Amino acid sequence: MKGNVYTIFYAAVLGTVCSLVLTFAASFTAPYKKANAEAEEVKNILLALNVSIPGKVSSEELVKIYKENVREQKQGGMTTYIYTPSDNTGGAIAMRFAGPGLWGPIKGFLALDPKITKIQGITFYEQEETPGLGGEIVSSSFRNKFIGLLIRDETGKPGIIIKSGGESAVNKVDGISGATMTCDKVQEMLNEAIKSIAGEKQ
Amino acid sequence: MADKQLACAVCQPKGICGGKGLLTLKEGAWGKNPLAIQVLGICSALAVTNRLENSLVMGAALIFVCVGSNLIVSLLRKHTPHRIRMVAEVAIIATFVILFDQFLKAFYWDMSKQLGPYVGLIITNCIVMGRAEAFALQNPPVLSMVDGLANGIGYAVVLAIIGFFRELLGTGEILGHKLPVFSEWYTPNQLMILAPGAFFALGIVIAIFNVIKGPAPEENK
Repeated sequence: MKGNVYTIFYAAVLGTVCSLVLTFAASFTAPYKKANAEAEEVKNILLALNVSIPGKVSSEELVKIYKENVREQKQGGMTTYIYTPSDNTGGAIAMRFAGPGLWGPIKGFLALDPKITKIQGITFYEQEETPGLGGEIVSSSFRNKFIGLLIRDETGKPGIIIKSGGESAVNKVDGISGATMTCDKVQEMLNEAIKSIAGEKQ
Repeated sequence: MADKQLACAVCQPKGICGGKGLLTLKEGAWGKNPLAIQVLGICSALAVTNRLENSLVMGAALIFVCVGSNLIVSLLRKHTPHRIRMVAEVAIIATFVILFDQFLKAFYWDMSKQLGPYVGLIITNCIVMGRAEAFALQNPPVLSMVDGLANGIGYAVVLAIIGFFRELLGTGEILGHKLPVFSEWYTPNQLMILAPGAFFALGIVIAIFNVIKGPAPEENK
């Protein structure tokens, strides 16, 4: 009997000590992690908007670049991020998109030209797709395919197609072979975002 | 011959680790190298070795966790109830792993993103648990730390070797830097960065280790 009491006591003490150590570590690193997460999001917005970022930058510098270049605007329930270069050429408007992927949620930013006709950039900042297959959506070779893609088909209906093979169209990019499910889901969430922003503009 | 020496020198108490420090170190890092000889913990060794930098950080993580958990397990070895010793070991290991993970997340964000879940998965790495169970439970704290260090180094060095060659052959770079002559004429072989490359690399490393070391004694029976 003594053994049982001691075992429970030992487990309780060990558990408490371990969790105290971890709680302390978590609260100590919390501000750093928050700054990193913020910088990560800002970096994704900047990348989608194609704002030039110098090679190695700290979290603070990223946030500074973001504040200097990007304006946030609420448009009917969604936030858009508007970038206007100082020489007033080009520029872009970005928005967040999200949806379920094959294994977990996929989140990212979609950047369009200011007239909302074509895609200028796309980034994914959260995904758990199969590495090497669906996970390839984060690769620059896949993301670069979207640049210049029209967001409406020939009849003017908003929406894009991500599919391997088949007929080419102004609003279609080649999917990743072996990752049809991921591509379908990405297509769906992008179309939802495109429809909402296209609807806003009309 | 080295093995005989290891078996005999056990009973002479001297120094802080009872005269067994060097032997423990040698055995853990070389003679019973956890990756190349015992082939333990290869899951992470396959997953994170596509870049040398990743391999080095992962090696450092394992050294930290192994030394820390071996120390604590050894300190508590006389007080831990036998029935829940494994639960206690896992709790201690998990604490160290999460500490390292938090540290990476706070100060080396990019590295943390690249390693993804594999830092957390050190908890289930059989090397750490194996050393706690097989060594730290029976040996005094300082010697246990040496053992943790030795096995950590053994793991880290093999990881670094694999990481070095996979990055070199897979991307033609080292630590993300282009090499002067090599990078220009070499055409990167993507296979080496992908999962199959890890199997080839690990297999070759294990083979080379075994050739140098000779076959294990128990196989000579």
